[in-house]
Amino acid sequence: MNTLNNIPVQADNNKRTNPLATVFDEFIQFCQSRSLFMLHYCTGCGAIELPPAMTSRFDMERLGIQPMVTPRQADILLVTGYVSVKTLKRVILTYEQMQSPKYVIGICSCTVNGGMYWQSYATAKVLNEYLPVDVYIAGCMPRPEAVISGLRRLMANIEQGKGNAWQDYYQRYDYYLGNQQHLFGDDWQTPTDVIGEAKYYELEAEQTYGKHTDILAQHQQPLEAQTMQIKF
Amino acid sequence: MNNLDQLFIVSLSGLAIVIIIGLFLPRQATWLAKLSPLLYVGQLLLLIKMASLVYIDAGSASEIQSSFHLHLLGEPLQWRFDALSWFFAIITVVAALFAALFMSGVWGEDYRKKTSANAYTMLHLGLLLNVNSMLLLLASGDFISLFIGWEFVSWASFFMMVLNPQKVARQAAMKYLMYAMTGAMALLAAMAYIYDISGSLQYDIVRLSMSHLSSEQIIPLVILFVVGFAIKMGVIPFHLWQAVAYAETPAPGAIFMGAISARMGLYAIIVVLFQLISMDNFAYIHIPYTFWNVQSVLAWIGALTTIIPTYIALKQNDARHLLAWHGVGQGGYMLLGLVIADNVGSAGGLLHVFNHATYQAALFMTVAAVMYRTGTSNFDKLGGLVSQMPLTFMVMVFSIIGLAGLPPMNGFVSKWMVYRSLLLDGQPLLFVAAVIGTLGTILSVYKLVHNTFLGQLRVEHQEIKEAPLTMLIPMLLLALIIFVTGVMPGLILDWIVPVQAAIGLPPLDYHLGGIILPTGGLDMIWLTLILFYGFAVGAVIFYLIGGRAKHVHQYDNYAGGHFLTAKVRYHYSHNFYAGLMHLIGGWYRGSFVRLEKAIVSLVSFLSQLAENFYRANQPTMLVVAVVVMAIWGIAVGRFG
Repeated sequence: MNTLNNIPVQADNNKRTNPLATVFDEFIQFCQSRSLFMLHYCTGCGAIELPPAMTSRFDMERLGIQPMVTPRQADILLVTGYVSVKTLKRVILTYEQMQSPKYVIGICSCTVNGGMYWQSYATAKVLNEYLPVDVYIAGCMPRPEAVISGLRRLMANIEQGKGNAWQDYYQRYDYYLGNQQHLFGDDWQTPTDVIGEAKYYELEAEQTYGKHTDILAQHQQPLEAQTMQIKF
Repeated sequence: MNNLDQLFIVSLSGLAIVIIIGLFLPRQATWLAKLSPLLYVGQLLLLIKMASLVYIDAGSASEIQSSFHLHLLGEPLQWRFDALSWFFAIITVVAALFAALFMSGVWGEDYRKKTSANAYTMLHLGLLLNVNSMLLLLASGDFISLFIGWEFVSWASFFMMVLNPQKVARQAAMKYLMYAMTGAMALLAAMAYIYDISGSLQYDIVRLSMSHLSSEQIIPLVILFVVGFAIKMGVIPFHLWQAVAYAETPAPGAIFMGAISARMGLYAIIVVLFQLISMDNFAYIHIPYTFWNVQSVLAWIGALTTIIPTYIALKQNDARHLLAWHGVGQGGYMLLGLVIADNVGSAGGLLHVFNHATYQAALFMTVAAVMYRTGTSNFDKLGGLVSQMPLTFMVMVFSIIGLAGLPPMNGFVSKWMVYRSLLLDGQPLLFVAAVIGTLGTILSVYKLVHNTFLGQLRVEHQEIKEAPLTMLIPMLLLALIIFVTGVMPGLILDWIVPVQAAIGLPPLDYHLGGIILPTGGLDMIWLTLILFYGFAVGAVIFYLIGGRAKHVHQYDNYAGGHFLTAKVRYHYSHNFYAGLMHLIGGWYRGSFVRLEKAIVSLVSFLSQLAENFYRANQPTMLVVAVVVMAIWGIAVGRFG
């Protein structure tokens, strides 16, 4: 969500009185930007550019980026190509299972505007209608240098405190849910209680709720975690 | 009348009570069920009164003689207890007490409803018979009473095994009987040989005559004895009968027999190889035409017994069978430690007898509790029970830590001592073999706990409850014993050092927390403290600093983006170690099974052949037989 609000045009507004006031925040952001775990959920043909980017030639790991097999421990969701409607359901499920802060990178033109599949009936064209995307890396396919450039852009955003697209998913959940329902039907639901999480992160906003969340509330069955209990 | 006489009388009167109530007062059988642990409490108290056998102070005798004597073939039969007998007897009686506690509650009610009141009484009878016969064996003071006790133990085990009417159990019991008879014949042959050599079956006289035997005389003797006793213990290559037979007996039988029954073989091996023929000789008796000596052969048999049954256990798909196979495998550590015959290793081997009894009983109890609640012990039909049966899970975790030999539970101490003695003795290859066995143990106990308690809970198990209290109490008590004797092994080493003295081994230096060695001992109290300090640091990080854990439903889980529902089972339990089996699966060739089959068919072929000859041509065969006998008689008369 690179809107104008995110561009620091009014730098003198947040004038520092105490130079140490934000030092911990900055330190945490610095650390976060240098320890990014990337979920292996690769769609489409862009995935073929990741092995060279990860391995010795371009070596992402020198930037602190390494692959991770589960969404619970991962920071980055890479969507590396066209996303069919069926795949998109899985991508959204996986994204919601990730823990905040979490970042989405759309690689390849297909994620930007559908690319060569723009006429297809079965592909989601613009990824950021369904998920908040931090960085797009256009190209068909982008070379590893471009991938790494995009990842460095994300790192820079995180370090400057601008990698906040994940908050947008909670703040404007109704918008994203609406687009998802438009594609998958009104009975669409995932196991994750997004509104509950929005309350937990204190990110509830006006647009969190709307007519689409009402539709969801009508049929959503919350999955209560099993608690360990001693019953005789 | 001394304590040993009282012990036998209490033990036998328990048998009489059960038989009388079972036959004449079937309505009082419920009371019998409730009070049956008392039958073992009495025996336990008498054993505790005999504790001066191990807690030796000035003036205490090293042996308690029973007052009744019999005479057979001019040989006096005697029964007596020494420190070794006492050590095995207390494990036996405590194991039986726990099995009876387990059986006297809800489990027994359930069993009686499923089968019949009669079958339930028979189960009590079977347990008592086993304890009686084991005490008789442990008290034996010469070879005839040893043989009598040995046969009683065999038949009592058989009695327990056939209580399960299913075909697989009956077949296993018959197989056991064949093995046991073979062992008894070997034992009888060995006794005949001993009688031929020394002219007596008294231990004292035999011990004297053993000291000047040539190696040509000792080797066949050792082979006959070891075959006779190793069959009971399930040592390689006689390991095939035990696991199925023990696993398929009703739960209290499996608890008791898994804990101690097979160790009677170890007891007899100790009596013969250590008390009568000193183990020191064996290192100098070379096996002709090889570079082996008797001691190293026995040690390698022990090492292979740790490896092969353990890796067979890894492939089992039923919790009871997996545990029973481990019971066979752990016997190898005991034999290995004892055969090394230094102070550390032999104490480790003996300590492992106790430790194994505690965790094996606890493990069979947890599996029986799971079976009581779910009706199965098949890994393919279990999973995720930790949320429903957390206490049972905890007991199982305690016990498998013991079984796998990890600190701070008791199995670690005894295994550490066996490893340590192998290293000190300069046996790196045996050490590696023991470690390979432990690796297989760790893998398969993880399989056990994962496939039963971790992973996805099945829909049909959503409503099940924790095991009932009458099952939980013995389980928790055993878990406590496993932990306490792990942290303070000195409590049990108190018993073991007198046993070492009784069987002529150098005694171990020990203290409450572990053992003292010039090259660095073991202190479990410190080790446990450090371990718990580590846990505490982890807990502080996880709960105080972090504290943001979120519990999610089991269907809110990542499966490559798959939407999990109750219809899609996502619990990986079938063919659990597929990757490992890809590497080592080719080594499972069933060689011993094929050998067993080959021997069986050879015997049945020969017997059929003989029968056919006899039936088809009776007069001819008679003539041939007479002629052969005549020629032999003439030859002997002429040249003999």
